[in-house]
Amino acid sequence: MSIAAIWEFLAGDSKRGPLAVLVAIVVAVVLLRSGVASPIVAAAFAGTIALGLAASVFEPQA
Amino acid sequence: VNGWTLAGTTFLASAVEAVEALTIVMAVGVARSWSVALRGTIAALIVLALIVAIFGPLLRFIPIDQLKLVVGIVLTLFGLAWLRKAILRYSGRKALKSEEAAYQRELSSLRSVEDVQADRVAMVTAFKSVLLEGLEVAIIVVTFGAASTLALEWSLVGAVGAVLLVALVGIAIKRPVSRVPENTMKFVVGIMLTSFGTFWTGEGLGIAWIGADLSLLILAAFYLAVSAILIAAARVPQAVRA
Repeated sequence: MSIAAIWEFLAGDSKRGPLAVLVAIVVAVVLLRSGVASPIVAAAFAGTIALGLAASVFEPQA
Repeated sequence: VNGWTLAGTTFLASAVEAVEALTIVMAVGVARSWSVALRGTIAALIVLALIVAIFGPLLRFIPIDQLKLVVGIVLTLFGLAWLRKAILRYSGRKALKSEEAAYQRELSSLRSVEDVQADRVAMVTAFKSVLLEGLEVAIIVVTFGAASTLALEWSLVGAVGAVLLVALVGIAIKRPVSRVPENTMKFVVGIMLTSFGTFWTGEGLGIAWIGADLSLLILAAFYLAVSAILIAAARVPQAVRA
């Protein structure tokens, strides 16, 4: 089984959704290290994932 | 996290996958023989049980913060994939899945196989379908159960309950289970997996959620609202669909 097949099994056929999860993690880490309050980081984190969902819905389908 | 919530999520996720697997197993049973279908199914269920039995307890050796992060990311990825698919189907951008059509397709494909190797092909078909549909559920059960033995037990109760229920319904009606609201179940599971995933990934990163476990409800309401907006925004007009 190839890595691409495992990845597709985990994340489906969208590229934007998983990318948004990665961006959300990076944003959360940067904000937490900058001393930003947890509720704001939580909102930014969930908001970025929601934006990723939106982007993946409008992603051209294979 | 509440045991009923864990069991409810794994129940719904397992029911969706079990309905899809049952369609193929039914086709194998009708096209070839029920013993072949049963052998393929049992072999796949043993493999799935081994995966849960081995990886379930093993995950507990990973430090809790790293575990939450890994489990959270996996659940978020699964959740987003399920939710995206459900939104696309609700908005008409993707065709709704028809178990009846899938059953007929599999039936004619199995009947076209030559007699010499027909039993082997049929058994592999049943094995593959149960294994592939069940693998996602096994991963969900293992990740949900990573927190404690009790969590694993609740997750297993939900998953096994759903599989038994779908199997019993299938045996009773002797047809693929085509009347379940598959997309709605997929949508609900997508919301729950994404909420759990966001919550655990956040905890793994060091985010302190307001209200602790209660924020799961806020996350679920948030993703539900976002999904409702996305369904409306992505909706394809009836005239275009026709």
